Amino acid sequence: MSSDYELSDNEYYDEDDDEVMYDDEDGSASEMDVDFRISPNTKVKSYEIDFDSLSQAQVEKQISQDVEDISGIFGVEPEVASLLLRNYNWNKERLIEKYMDSATAVSIAAGLALPEKPDSSSRSRATQSQPVGAVRRTTRRNTNEQPKSGKTKILERVTPPLDDQPFVCPICFDDSQTKTMSLQCNHKFCTECWNAYTTSKIRTEAEHWITCMAEDCKLVATDDFVKSALKDDADVFTRYQELVVRHYVSCNKNLKYCPYPSCTHTVSCPAGASKSALTTIVPIVTCGASAGHKFCFGCNVDADHRPVVCGVAKMWLQKCQDDSETANWIKSNTKECSKCQSTIEKNGGCNHMTCKKCKYEFCWVCMGPWTEHGTAWYSCNRYDEKASIDARDAQSRSRASLERYLHYYNRWANHEQSAKLSVELYTKTERKMEEMQITSDMTWIEVQFMKKAVDEVFKCRMTLKWTYAMAYYLEKNNQKELFEDNQRDLERAVEELSELIESSIDPESALPLRQKVTDKTVYVQKRNEIMLEDTANGFLEGRWKWNMSIDGFDEPTEYAY
Amino acid sequence: MAGICRNRLAEERKQWRKDHPFGFYAKPTKAADGSMNLLEWEVGIPGKAGTPWEGGVYKLMMIFPEGKLPLSHYPSKPPKCKFSPPLFHPNVYPSGTVCLSILDEEKSWKPAITIKQVLLGIQELLNDPNVNDPAQSDAYTMFKNDKAAYERRVRAQARENVPK
Repeated sequence: MSSDYELSDNEYYDEDDDEVMYDDEDGSASEMDVDFRISPNTKVKSYEIDFDSLSQAQVEKQISQDVEDISGIFGVEPEVASLLLRNYNWNKERLIEKYMDSATAVSIAAGLALPEKPDSSSRSRATQSQPVGAVRRTTRRNTNEQPKSGKTKILERVTPPLDDQPFVCPICFDDSQTKTMSLQCNHKFCTECWNAYTTSKIRTEAEHWITCMAEDCKLVATDDFVKSALKDDADVFTRYQELVVRHYVSCNKNLKYCPYPSCTHTVSCPAGASKSALTTIVPIVTCGASAGHKFCFGCNVDADHRPVVCGVAKMWLQKCQDDSETANWIKSNTKECSKCQSTIEKNGGCNHMTCKKCKYEFCWVCMGPWTEHGTAWYSCNRYDEKASIDARDAQSRSRASLERYLHYYNRWANHEQSAKLSVELYTKTERKMEEMQITSDMTWIEVQFMKKAVDEVFKCRMTLKWTYAMAYYLEKNNQKELFEDNQRDLERAVEELSELIESSIDPESALPLRQKVTDKTVYVQKRNEIMLEDTANGFLEGRWKWNMSIDGFDEPTEYAY
Repeated sequence: MAGICRNRLAEERKQWRKDHPFGFYAKPTKAADGSMNLLEWEVGIPGKAGTPWEGGVYKLMMIFPEGKLPLSHYPSKPPKCKFSPPLFHPNVYPSGTVCLSILDEEKSWKPAITIKQVLLGIQELLNDPNVNDPAQSDAYTMFKNDKAAYERRVRAQARENVPK
């Protein structure tokens, strides 16, 4: 795959085209595309993944489909079916199985029926532990015969109270309240209290399961009841519906809620749903609300950690968090005892060191044993003596792993830093683009190549950043060398493009510069694709071997470090 | 909302004065100017007879939330119950706050639970700690490892808390 790309690079270079973005579907069948056209046009890149973005309404539609199914099978009101499903974490099969077993038990457990109260409603429920047909008939008859009794319904509202005595709400003790509401349990509370309670449950506790206010009462409010308790406060009810959707999404492993603030979209990505798939693919998805809402379906360590799989990315970030600062400090402030390799900070005194742990005496300057220093107290001129060199060698070996880590970390951090500065680079580039429009008579559309170049640099820096995390864990073999070759090519190209973007422009050089930047952008883009594609394929083929044990992968053959 | 909170507390006070379980006391605190502060009650919970807690009356502050946020009011939210001084008990935090499911709005708190029920619940908890929810390590480890020493400690604490 990668060789195909490389062959076509030169041809692409010669192209004189405003369109910088290379795209399979744009139809600009330039000669270099011909190779690819043999394979189907819709070829999906191996570092991309199939997913769908769903709006809240679309998820709600799925939900009501499930609700209708259950409602049809059990012969219950959709509202009740919805609560049953929620109680069973939207697991239809399990709900059906249990409900067929004992409808009463399921209803009581779900807070839809009162336990052991021998009134007509629980009797009619008890009969429901019959085959499906019977259930439907029973319920239909009930609803038809007593449409107004409210006994078979979950929701019962008594307005005003039927008692002779004035009603005193047991929550607020306000006897001027005349309107009350209660669930099937008949625990009456005034509408004001219901309103405050429901609003607080939804607003401050993000709760979609609202139970009766009475102590120990497990009865749950239906959506309609919630709606009327909220006195049709549309905002809070919308939030409530959102919470139900969130619950549905969180129960379905093929779905994920967009993590961006106040976004209500959902992404469906069955391919990235299983844990085992995460060792072969990196499920980076984008929700339908905005192209910027990019996130990883498999983990939450970073929005886009391609080409590295979740497990490796997570390990790396953990390591950076734990070790980077410490490692840097150790590197610059300490030395190891040449005998027991304990890390020692010299915070004062002379060069005659005595290791606190093994009591070994040595010279801080040459690291050689102190006994050989004889009378050369406090000044060391023995740097080249054999014993000192050996001691320093031992030390440098123990430092090697630290150095190795810092090598990767520093490059990682460097790209991270450059990417952070990209905002600044954007404004700078924008100024430059304006300048170009004035000095050389390029049009607005003609100077857009600059912006595209900046975008591309940013994108590639993100890729490069993660390739260093990957390289740190890769076992030393030919595959790693190929990987690092690709990495080096991409890095070099990106740095060159970066430099071009930053270079100053005068009217005469504007046009050639544009040509250069455009070409380079295309090249960089290709290198990035090669990097991503090859790494992704490597994961699919199980080509990458690691130098330490990583979650989900085979154990490494040998620990290199 | 503020209205509901105070009305309810006034009514709780009334009900309490009419009838309350033996050995308990509960009264709103007084502010510096002598006015009654309904949002903060001083209560006493007696240890049950026949338990190592017997004899002691344990002082507890009940603080009823009347938060600045409109929805964080009692009785939508439970009162905060805090032993003062902090109690040696597996489910009491070092600060004195009681860890009990009916006092947690995300667990079993319901607006209809009365002060009497809360206090009886805490009394129940004294000799029947919940080992699944330890709140302080001292009492918890001792309860788990050395029941005899734990009981001695509880009895000593009861003696310290005999009402004068």
